[in-house]
Amino acid sequence: MKKSVSLGIVGLGGEGVVILGTLLLKVGSREFYHGKMQKFYDARIKGGSSAVFLSFSLEKEILPSENLDILVCLNGKNLKEFRAELPIVSQTLFFLDDIPENRPIFNEYSNALPFPFEKICREKGATLQSKNMVALGVLSRILGFDKEEVIEEIKKFSKKYEEQNLACFEAGLEFSETSELPSWQLLKPIPPQRDPAKGGMPGLQKIIIDGNEAVVQAALKVACTCLIAYPITPASEIMESLGPKLLSSGKVFVQAEDEIAAAGLCIGASLGGAKSMVSTSGPGLDLLMEMLGLASQAEIPLVIVDVQRAGPATGMPTKTEQSDLFTAIYGGHGDTPRVVLAPYDTEGCYRLTIEAFNISEYYQTPVILLSDQNLGQTLVSTCDFTSKNYQIIERLKPDEKEKGNYRRYIITPNFISPFAIFGTPGFCWQTSGLTHQETGAPASESAELQQKMAEKRWKKLLPLTKQKDLVKTFGNPKSKIGIMSWGSSAKTVLESLQEQGLLSKVKVCIPELLHPLPEEEIQSFLKNTKKLCICELNYSGQFARHLRAWIDLPKNTRIYSRAGGSPFTRSELKDWLSEVVK
Amino acid sequence: MTYTDYLSKVEPIWCKGCGNFGILKATCLALSNLEIPPHKIGIVSGIGCSSRMPGYLSTYGINSLHGRAIPIATGLKLARPDLTVLVAGGDGDLFSIGAGHLPHVTRRKFQEKPIDITCIMFDNHVYALTKGQTSPTTFSDQKTKTTDFSSPVDPLLDMLSFMHSSESGFLAQGIATDPSHLTKLIEEAIKYKGFSFINVQTPCPTHNSEEWLKILKEKRIYVEAGKEVYLPDGERWIHDPQDWELACKILKTPMNQGIHLGIIYKK
Repeated sequence: MKKSVSLGIVGLGGEGVVILGTLLLKVGSREFYHGKMQKFYDARIKGGSSAVFLSFSLEKEILPSENLDILVCLNGKNLKEFRAELPIVSQTLFFLDDIPENRPIFNEYSNALPFPFEKICREKGATLQSKNMVALGVLSRILGFDKEEVIEEIKKFSKKYEEQNLACFEAGLEFSETSELPSWQLLKPIPPQRDPAKGGMPGLQKIIIDGNEAVVQAALKVACTCLIAYPITPASEIMESLGPKLLSSGKVFVQAEDEIAAAGLCIGASLGGAKSMVSTSGPGLDLLMEMLGLASQAEIPLVIVDVQRAGPATGMPTKTEQSDLFTAIYGGHGDTPRVVLAPYDTEGCYRLTIEAFNISEYYQTPVILLSDQNLGQTLVSTCDFTSKNYQIIERLKPDEKEKGNYRRYIITPNFISPFAIFGTPGFCWQTSGLTHQETGAPASESAELQQKMAEKRWKKLLPLTKQKDLVKTFGNPKSKIGIMSWGSSAKTVLESLQEQGLLSKVKVCIPELLHPLPEEEIQSFLKNTKKLCICELNYSGQFARHLRAWIDLPKNTRIYSRAGGSPFTRSELKDWLSEVVK
Repeated sequence: MTYTDYLSKVEPIWCKGCGNFGILKATCLALSNLEIPPHKIGIVSGIGCSSRMPGYLSTYGINSLHGRAIPIATGLKLARPDLTVLVAGGDGDLFSIGAGHLPHVTRRKFQEKPIDITCIMFDNHVYALTKGQTSPTTFSDQKTKTTDFSSPVDPLLDMLSFMHSSESGFLAQGIATDPSHLTKLIEEAIKYKGFSFINVQTPCPTHNSEEWLKILKEKRIYVEAGKEVYLPDGERWIHDPQDWELACKILKTPMNQGIHLGIIYKK
C-alpha cells in the first residue's frame, strides 16, 4: 500500500476532465488526504485538450511521485501533448477508453488497459457528458474511497444530471468489480485514531482551494468593498467568484470596458473610502500602468492582482510563466514607488492578499500581487488557513482638530499623511496626478517640491523592507550554499531539495516582498555564502537581475531560468540542484 | 451658501477671455442653487485646460489622467452614491484619448440603476493647453499647428450624435458666454437620475479663429420644450426633449447654420 498516489486524467475539452479531478479531490480531501490538482488546457472554447495531474498524500510532507501511478485517458487524441506534464512509466495503471479513436494508441502503449467508459455510459442511456462518472466509479474503487461519500459529492455537483451521473458512477463501480482489473487499494487507509467517526481525534479542518479562490477568500476577509476587472485568462475566476459575492452584500463589482478603466474605477472608489482591487493578467497589467502611476503619485490605496501567464503580447494565455516581474517593479514612466509581493504557494496567495490590502491602506500606495497560472489554477486540498486570525489594518484618518486646516500631503515623521475620504465634512481637498503641494494643489513648476514629494513617497515605504515575515528562509542556515527563488517555482525548488534529502545541506531564501527589496534580510542570508543559485521561470532571469541591481551577489552565482509554458517539475530541477550542492 | 463659497483660493491659469471662467461660474452657481454642501461633491477631471477645474473648487476633487475622468468618477459614484459626482473634460480629453469610456458609462447599470454622474464637456475645438493642435472636434477648415495642409484633415467628430446613439439619457448643449443659461442646464443635469452630458461651447481666445468666434456669437438657437425650434429643413418643429428622432435632427444641424442650446434630449 502506498502513502501517496499520482493520477492523471486526459481528454478533450468538454469531456469533464476537470470535473472528474475536482470530485476525486473533494472525496479524497474528505478522507483526510492532502491533495493537489494542476490543470493543463488550451485556450479554446470546446475541443482542444484538457488534462489534470492529481496527487494525494497521507501527510503534508509526503511528496507524491511525479510519475503517474494511474492515468485515465478518455480520449487519446492529444495524449502526446502532455508527455511532459503526465509522465507514463511501465508501472502506470493506464486506462484508455475503448473507442475507435483510441485504437491506434493501444499499439503504442502496450500497458494501456482497454476500458469501455463510453460504452457503459451509452448502455445506461446517459449522454456522453457522464462518461467521466464511469471513470469516477472505477477510480473510487481503486483508491478505496467510501461509496456513500462519493455519491454525496456527485449529488452536490449537479442536480440536473444527478440521476444519470449516479447511474454511470454505479455502473463504473460495478464493472470494475466484475472485471479482471487489479483489485488493490493504492492508498493506505486512514489510521483509525484520526477518524472522528470512529471516536478518534478529529484531523485538521481541510479546505479545497486554488490560488485564485484564495485571493477571493482573502479579499472577503479584509472586507474588500470594490472589485473591478476585465475578463482575462487565467485571472477571470477571481472576478467570477468574488464579483457576485460583493454584489450580494451591497458592495461594488463591475466588469469594466478595459483594464485602464478597471483600475480607474478602483481609484475613484478608493478616494471614496473603498478597499479596491483589480484582478488581471500580464496584458491587463500593461494597460493599467498609467493608473498605477496615478495611485502612486496621488497616494491612493489600490491592490492589483496579476495572475501571470506566458508572454509577451498574447503569449500563451493558459500557460504559466514568471515574466511580469520587471513590469510589476519598474513598469510605468516616472519614478514610481509601488509594492510588489509574490506568494509561493496557495496559502501565500491568501496571506499575501491580506498583506497587500494592509500595506496598500497603511502606506497609501499601489500594491501588486504577483501570482501565476500554476498557483492560481492549481486546486489543493490542505489544512484550512482561512480560519486563522489576521490583523487588518485601516487607512489613517485625520484628526478632528485638523478641520479647516487640513493638508492632505503633509510631511510627517513617517511620511504617511492622514487621508480624509471624499465626503468627510470639513476636510475638502483636491488632488492631482500633477506634482502637488502639501495641500494637494498643483505645483508643476517647483523642482523643490518634486524632490520633496518623491522623497515622501519613497521613504514612507522603507519600514516595509524591515518587516521580517516577508522573507522566508529554509534549510541549514550555516550552509555556504544559498538558493534563492520566488513565486510558484520556489515551491518546486523546496520540494525537489526535500525529495533528494538536500535541504539540510543548503540554505534557501524566498523573498515574498520583491519591491522595495528587503535588502538587509537578504544580505544577512547571503553572509558567508560561497555559492548562490537562483531559479525562476522566465528566459532572461528577471529576479536574478533585480537582485543584482540592489545587492552584491557572490562571485559564484548561477542561474537556472527558462521560458514558461510549463511549470518546473521536481525532476527537472533534480540534476541542477544535486550539481550545485556538490 | 453663495457661489463664491464653492471656489477655492487657487487662481485659474486660464487665459484672459477664456470661456472656461463662465463654466466655472455656472458650475458654482448651480451647486449653490441646489444647496449641495461642498463636502458632498466630488469633481473628477482628466487633463487639459478644462481639467484644471477641480483645483478651483472648494469641493473634493481630482485632476486625474488624460482621458480617464469617466472611469474614476464612476468608481467614486459607485462607492459613494451619497456624493454628487461631476466630470469636467475637454474635447480632446473626452473624445479622443478617453472616447472608449463614453459608450460604456452611458449604458452601464449598477444594481439596476444607471450611473448617476454629470459630465460637463468644455468644447473649444482644439488642444489648447498643449498650445494648439487638432482635436476631434476641430473644423476641417480650421488651421492648427498639426493640420496637414497637403491632405484633408479628418472630418469633425459629431460627439453629440455619438452620445445620443450611445444612449446618454440626458443631453444638453450650453455656451460658456451665457453662464445663467448654462447654470440652469447644469442644475437639471445634476437633478437627472442617470448619466447626463452637457456639451459647452467655450471660446478659446488664443486658438479659435475670428470666424468661429463670430459664428458662436451669431448662430445660437435656444431650444425649449413646447416651443418652436429652427431646423435647416425649413419645416416647423416644436421641441420635445423626449423625442429621440427630433433630437437626432437637431444634433445633425451643421454648426455654421445653427448652434442649438438647451436640453436636447431627456429620457
